[in-house]
Amino acid sequence: MFLALREMKHAKLRYVLIGFIMVLLIWLVLFVSGLANGLSSDNASSIQNMNTNYLVLQQDSDNRLTRSTISDNNLQDVRQYTEEGKATPLGVQMTTITKSGATKKLDITFFAIDVNSMLAPTISEGKMINQRTAHEIVADRSIQLEGFKLGDEIEDLASGETFKIVGFTEGQSFSHTPVVYMNFNGWSTISHQQTPNQEIFNTIALNISANQAKQIEKNLPNVDVISKDQALQGIPGYKEEQGSLIMMIAFLFVISAFVLAVFFYVMTIQKMNQFGVLKAIGAKSTYLARTIIFQVLFITIVSLLISISLTIGVSFILPDSMPFNLSTSLVFGCSILFLVVSMIGALLSLYRVSKIDAIEAIGRAV
Amino acid sequence: MEDLLLLEQISKVYGDGDTSVKVLDDVSLQVKAGEFVAVVGPSGSGKSTFLSITGALLSPTSGRMMIGGKEIHKLSPKKMNQLRLEKIGFIFQSSNLIPYLTVQDQLLLIPELSGMHHTNAKKRAHNLLDRLGLMHRKNHYPESLSGGERQRVAIARAWMNNPDIILADEPTASLDSERGRAVVQMLADEVKLHQKAAIMVTHDKRMLDLCDRIVYIEDGILSEKKKK
Repeated sequence: MFLALREMKHAKLRYVLIGFIMVLLIWLVLFVSGLANGLSSDNASSIQNMNTNYLVLQQDSDNRLTRSTISDNNLQDVRQYTEEGKATPLGVQMTTITKSGATKKLDITFFAIDVNSMLAPTISEGKMINQRTAHEIVADRSIQLEGFKLGDEIEDLASGETFKIVGFTEGQSFSHTPVVYMNFNGWSTISHQQTPNQEIFNTIALNISANQAKQIEKNLPNVDVISKDQALQGIPGYKEEQGSLIMMIAFLFVISAFVLAVFFYVMTIQKMNQFGVLKAIGAKSTYLARTIIFQVLFITIVSLLISISLTIGVSFILPDSMPFNLSTSLVFGCSILFLVVSMIGALLSLYRVSKIDAIEAIGRAV
Repeated sequence: MEDLLLLEQISKVYGDGDTSVKVLDDVSLQVKAGEFVAVVGPSGSGKSTFLSITGALLSPTSGRMMIGGKEIHKLSPKKMNQLRLEKIGFIFQSSNLIPYLTVQDQLLLIPELSGMHHTNAKKRAHNLLDRLGLMHRKNHYPESLSGGERQRVAIARAWMNNPDIILADEPTASLDSERGRAVVQMLADEVKLHQKAAIMVTHDKRMLDLCDRIVYIEDGILSEKKKK
């Protein structure tokens, strides 16, 4: 890349300036992506981490778990189409609690599960609740920040029932509130059962194939089968929060493409005569195109490396409470996308280069 | 002596039907090795078209043309590109050097473009620079060279690929007569030394005594006056 490197070396300032813009753009993209990712898990990690791929909701619940009501009968119907242990009920109840004897309130979400099913969370401290107890729970670790400890009693303000924290789990939140796991004995004490002999819950978590999901959808008219991703979108605020951040990221990518496109287009137009001379002395169009591609890739890759280091550096000084989560795959994905976008930006210049006529060099004093 | 450049009844017509313009009309020319030919004519006479066709930048409408014994009037644009790289050395008006390459790199660009990384490219470049008195300038950029030095670099560049013919498009246009004469003298000496064919388009009459033959072109028709 004889020409590409020498040109960049000679016109350092221009290329440093465009590189600087790219660094800022990529930095912002990575930062907002990390934030979107962090907010997403802060919002809905319980569903993201849940060992399920499809959920059964009552018909017309708008993909919202909290709006759906599923009965035991529905569960029996669904179980006809799934293998043993692949369909398990889940109760979801958003509520407000206090520590027994205190007045400070905290919003949480109760998840009622069959403690032996695939939905049982991993315990990081204490022990798991068993099937028989009615007043023991396992809570997400984040409520420790609010001063709750192992053995503390919590009071559900809606029902007045109290529960004892016997264990903590991690990465369990729903609509930005910590999730508290209980069994169905606990569930029946807090939910206002209309029909005493029939259990009512919100959804059925499934671990099945796409084909089985279609079967259930087709054969059971009063339920909808939705994917885990649809369920995430249905969490209050999730779609709006992610949507606005993703829009920002998309715009940044488009802006980057245009910034690169304009820069290289102007540079190319400026060099038309020079390219004409190069072609006259025998340079192929592909050689000139390669020079431009090399420069675009060079600037993008160097900017990416700087931005990634900056983002990682900044993530160390962010406070813990800031929901920032940048995974390797996210960085990798963003980088690939940036390379693609930069190539798209270079297309316009490549088109101009392909149209260069060597005759421009003759009879022209510049 | 062998003809390095041969043009036979070359015509070039622009446009078609009623609006066609015949820029070159049955032009024939032979240039032997070691010959330095000047092409003189007023502007609009077809000089640039003549040079473009001779330099394989443009295909003639009709006629036959050979460079170094190779027929080129029917080549594809891609082949013409390759031919320019291997067989033709260009010297343009105001030199047209690449602004971001040092004098030495201007020359090394030629082997780089042909994709052959000659180990002796650098040696060849140094020889050329030495002969043209540019060795002390080899790490300078064109912006810090004088007009005469730039034109000398352009001559060295044209020689870099060891071409069969050298084509110069008003090489003295941006130089004063003293420097212009030195540059053309240098060009003439190189042509003699290496037994190449060279064509120089010019309207600088003061340079004509340095050339072996003078060809006049007017309204697309070529005529030659024998030198005394």
